[in-house]
Amino acid sequence: MNELKFHWRLTQGGERPGASRGHQASLGETGLADLPQRIRFCKRAEELGIDSLLTDFGWSKPDPMFLACAIGLQTETIKFIVAYRSGLICPTSFVQQLNTLSTLIDGRFSINVIAGDTPEEQHYYGDWLPHDERYARTEEFLAVCRALWRREGPVNFEGKYYKVEGGKINTPFTAPDRDFPELFIAGNSKQAHDLAISQGTIWMQIPDTPAKMQERGADVLAAGKELGVRCSIIGGRTRGEALETAYALVSEKRDGFDDGAKEREFMRKSDSVNVRSTYAMAGESEWLTPWLWTGAVRTHGAPCIAIVGSPRDIADGIEEYVDAGVTQFILAGWPKLESMEFFGEEVLPLIRQPKAIAAAL
Amino acid sequence: MPLRFHWSMSSAGEELKGAKARAAVSGIPNLDAHVRFCKVAEECGIESLLTAFGFHRADPIVLAAALGMLTTRIKFMVAVRSGVCSPTLFVQQVNSVAALTGGRICLNVVAGHTPEEQKYYGDFLAHDERYERTDEFLTVCNAFWKGSGEVNFAGKYYTIEKGKLNTPFVAPDRSAPEIFLGGNSPPGEKLAVKHADCMWRLPEPAAKMRDRVRPLVESGIEVGILVSLIVRETHDEAIAATEQLIARFDGAPRRTHEEFAKKSDSVAFTSTYKLANADDWPAPYLWTGAVPYMGAPSVAIVGSPTEVADALFEYRDAGVTQFLFMGWPDLEEMERLSRLVVPLVREREEAETRNAEVAAS
Repeated sequence: MNELKFHWRLTQGGERPGASRGHQASLGETGLADLPQRIRFCKRAEELGIDSLLTDFGWSKPDPMFLACAIGLQTETIKFIVAYRSGLICPTSFVQQLNTLSTLIDGRFSINVIAGDTPEEQHYYGDWLPHDERYARTEEFLAVCRALWRREGPVNFEGKYYKVEGGKINTPFTAPDRDFPELFIAGNSKQAHDLAISQGTIWMQIPDTPAKMQERGADVLAAGKELGVRCSIIGGRTRGEALETAYALVSEKRDGFDDGAKEREFMRKSDSVNVRSTYAMAGESEWLTPWLWTGAVRTHGAPCIAIVGSPRDIADGIEEYVDAGVTQFILAGWPKLESMEFFGEEVLPLIRQPKAIAAAL
Repeated sequence: MPLRFHWSMSSAGEELKGAKARAAVSGIPNLDAHVRFCKVAEECGIESLLTAFGFHRADPIVLAAALGMLTTRIKFMVAVRSGVCSPTLFVQQVNSVAALTGGRICLNVVAGHTPEEQKYYGDFLAHDERYERTDEFLTVCNAFWKGSGEVNFAGKYYTIEKGKLNTPFVAPDRSAPEIFLGGNSPPGEKLAVKHADCMWRLPEPAAKMRDRVRPLVESGIEVGILVSLIVRETHDEAIAATEQLIARFDGAPRRTHEEFAKKSDSVAFTSTYKLANADDWPAPYLWTGAVPYMGAPSVAIVGSPTEVADALFEYRDAGVTQFLFMGWPDLEEMERLSRLVVPLVREREEAETRNAEVAAS
């Protein structure tokens, strides 16, 4: 079985603890490098046994590839999950940039390929394809990337969106254990599922119940790919304490910013199946399982579906996904640093504990 | 205005890289050698270092970001080809590097060298259309840097709607990166006048350049030359150095560059090959003897410190105010420029300023 890996979301520039996605993006500080703060966060993540930090892509943030480069040069072991949108750069240049990055930081990154959240933001970048075609293009994009990573001679490709003739680059992907980066394909849609099987190494989803995820992911595992979950953690010493924290999160209005309205606006604009289905699910039921809470989704966004409870509850919740075949988790919490420390110190040891010892206790 | 000196970092860690077939060059950057190169350049008072673009090299902007993190003063002149990524994404990358390095990035725009290499990147446009696209690309980029508010652009190659980015270009003295643009053809000149701060040309004798440089300078841009440098304590030593350089080549590398010249549709490059075949010394200070072995950029200013300083002022009188140098080896040549030539140049500039003040009073 693949090794279990736990990732966290990297802090934003001028991170505001508890700020929703819409609120954070509206702040000028989000666009700044804010390196000292982020490097401190990364060093703490290294100490806590976190594998990688997700560096988001979006108009409101610095380019994640360059953040990974800058932070990677000043840290030792932490890796990055660099989110990038296909369709904004030609695959040959993309691979050349990533391979160059790999030579500089020992290949300490994987790639989260996203097809784009909202048509509005895609238009900022000059991308006018509708949702389904963006997936078809991503399929071609990654096919060219993977052909370049195989290094089996000049790459010739003739598709609907890309045509490459004699393609080659001299800089190889350089890492101790891989010759191309792990490729996270995120999304709950059929297209994302198919893309993960054809070009990815792992299918990332916003979680549904473990049973449903197991059912949907069976053919992904059969194809030799991994399953991953992206969600939030809301913990406390006891379940009661965790619930209080959870409810406080959605009842507060910060600086007069209406998170619910901002998130509703985002939903109107989004054409992501992933985001829409989670938003819809959150309307149907607040608790999908005894520990999986959708209460923050309608104010804080789809990835804020949360596993809530005591360290034991959270460890159990994660174990259920592991039993369903999930091997990688991209997690976050509020505030990011404290929740990561809680997870690393209180929850992770329970998960890493061999089952036999856990049973004996 | 004082003359400005830049250096090419294309051969960092590999002295005669220009003499190798491009496909045989390793694309793995030697980070230590590059950092050493940068530090010597900082000590020598070089303003910026060119990181070039090509399939056989590491990606220049990622490399510049890393080197910027490991140095303190030197700027990076990052080569950019339009047509390989969305202008919005490009601006986001450049602004991110600026945020990480205190704005130590400027750009060297090239419209592309050989159609063959462009096809590796999925670019099948012909020479004139590449210029047209570069025009649109730079129009969008400059709208992000110099405009106020959202960017709207509808062109033949790019359509941007309400484009915005949250990471501004930040530097101590600028709110947009300085743009250099290389080329010798009339569309290149038009492009430079419209979008650039300085146009790079390959050198001809200074007197011959005057007529084509003057209109560019009158249009409000600077003109610089991309030229190699061989300066020695005496005239005879400098001449001997040219002979020693030629003696180091056997027949093979000459073919390398003849092949490249045949494939290239760049007017700047092909016209220099013609110049080189006509005469090894088109001016007493200008030597083209290495061009058959090391390509167009190896046209060299050769001489004693005084002769070289005189040559630089001849170029200045023809309107050329910036110099992008290469040398064999780079670091020794850079050190001689700094120690032997720059003091003469600055002394003369100061004397001129004093004389001008006296004349004015």
